[in-house]
Amino acid sequence: MNYDIKRSVSLYSYQNAYYDGVLDLEGCLRETAKSGATGVGLLAEQMIKRFPLPIYTDEFRAKWFGWLKTYGLTPSCYDAFLEMRLYDNRTLTIYEQVEMMKRDIHLAKLLGFPVLRTLVSTPMEVIEGSLEYAQSEGVKIGLEVHAPFSLNSGWADGYMEMIRRTGTKYFGFIPDFGIFSKNLPDMLREKYRRAGAKEECLRIVDEAYAERVAKGFVKIRYDLNLGKANMEYRMANGMQQMMDAVKKAGGGPADLGYASDSFAYSWSDPKDIEDNIDYIFHTHAKCYHLDENCVETAVAIPEVVEAYKRAGYTGYLSTEYEGGTETNEFFHTDDIEQVQRHQEALRRAIEG
Amino acid sequence: MGKVIYNPDAFQNVYQNDECIGFSFEFKLQYYRGITLSIIRNFDVTIDGTSIPRENLRVTVNGETFTMDEMRTVIDPAYRWEFGEYGKVTVLMPGGLAPGEHHIHTKQVIAPSYMPYQIEANCETTFTIA
Repeated sequence: MNYDIKRSVSLYSYQNAYYDGVLDLEGCLRETAKSGATGVGLLAEQMIKRFPLPIYTDEFRAKWFGWLKTYGLTPSCYDAFLEMRLYDNRTLTIYEQVEMMKRDIHLAKLLGFPVLRTLVSTPMEVIEGSLEYAQSEGVKIGLEVHAPFSLNSGWADGYMEMIRRTGTKYFGFIPDFGIFSKNLPDMLREKYRRAGAKEECLRIVDEAYAERVAKGFVKIRYDLNLGKANMEYRMANGMQQMMDAVKKAGGGPADLGYASDSFAYSWSDPKDIEDNIDYIFHTHAKCYHLDENCVETAVAIPEVVEAYKRAGYTGYLSTEYEGGTETNEFFHTDDIEQVQRHQEALRRAIEG
Repeated sequence: MGKVIYNPDAFQNVYQNDECIGFSFEFKLQYYRGITLSIIRNFDVTIDGTSIPRENLRVTVNGETFTMDEMRTVIDPAYRWEFGEYGKVTVLMPGGLAPGEHHIHTKQVIAPSYMPYQIEANCETTFTIA
């Protein structure tokens, strides 16, 4: 199959540098271009102050498109947050949520993004209720497929049914590379080691993870009650036995924390990408830690990118460096360097 | 090396009509995007081991000051707590803090809508009141 895989960076990746005041929005764009990427993903709520007001102004948009031109970047994906629990005493009505979704679709369009990322918590009715508007604006809605969710699962079938029923071309999936973690990230292990986890317990969790990868993860099913579906998923994947083994080995809070966190990662067969390629138009290439040889310690980048090539993918692989949230309290991570290494790893895999 | 949460230069007693009514500090939210004040569920502040009642806190963002309960309905873009920016918290406490070293611990509780649970961040530091 002919493929045309492009590289992008989600500015989420630079959250530490932005938080510390090292980079502003323009600085993030400059670093993105320096990394070799040609696409850029944005979380408007992260880096546009007084969201969403500036996006409606000609002045801000002139600045935004000016930067894109200066740095040679193309908008890839707008990451939206549907704040349906804006108030603590109620959930917004479906009508209110659809209006919020339409607002975000319009904002994405104003900034030149062809794709809007929505989260698994978005109700099906809100997605369906926004499809016509998405089509009129020319912005596709992509549902992030983030561990513990996966393609080719009961959960994904729920959305496939909607796609078939409506015949829409404006909804699909955005795989997150966290679902292709062959190992747990070394930084995660190090974080819990520093918090006092025992080597024996770390090993028990690592071995249990390796066993899940070898046997294949039991997939999550579709359920409006995500908490319930998630707990069933964990139990079906041997959480109880692993927790018992950790406790038996004298595990404390740090050991149990590592054990519990291990369920935020998963391994899917990369063939899932080929099976679902008609519904994949953007990808969050999540990464956790790349060593000095540009090898990612958790995600099996070359194997996964090969599947994208076989599938004939023509979209972006967009670096999403997770560093900030994994390692906040323990390390000072260099997100600029990590993004550069990840872009190099993607380049080698795509061109290799 | 951890990240900076509290503004090291912002701990100070607060005076009104020559009377010390409390003290104030500034910190950053431990979350990765700007948010409306309405999704901040609580700041659980402890100073030198003493827990501060929620009703004695005032939060100032972009020049306007709110009680914790008032924040529940604050959604205007003008008062978003921006990612990476300091916001100010005033602790009403007649007499304020004595000169010298003190310890502060704040648990930030934020409820992003997409998460099945609230995010809690424990933020602590020692500081000096001149």
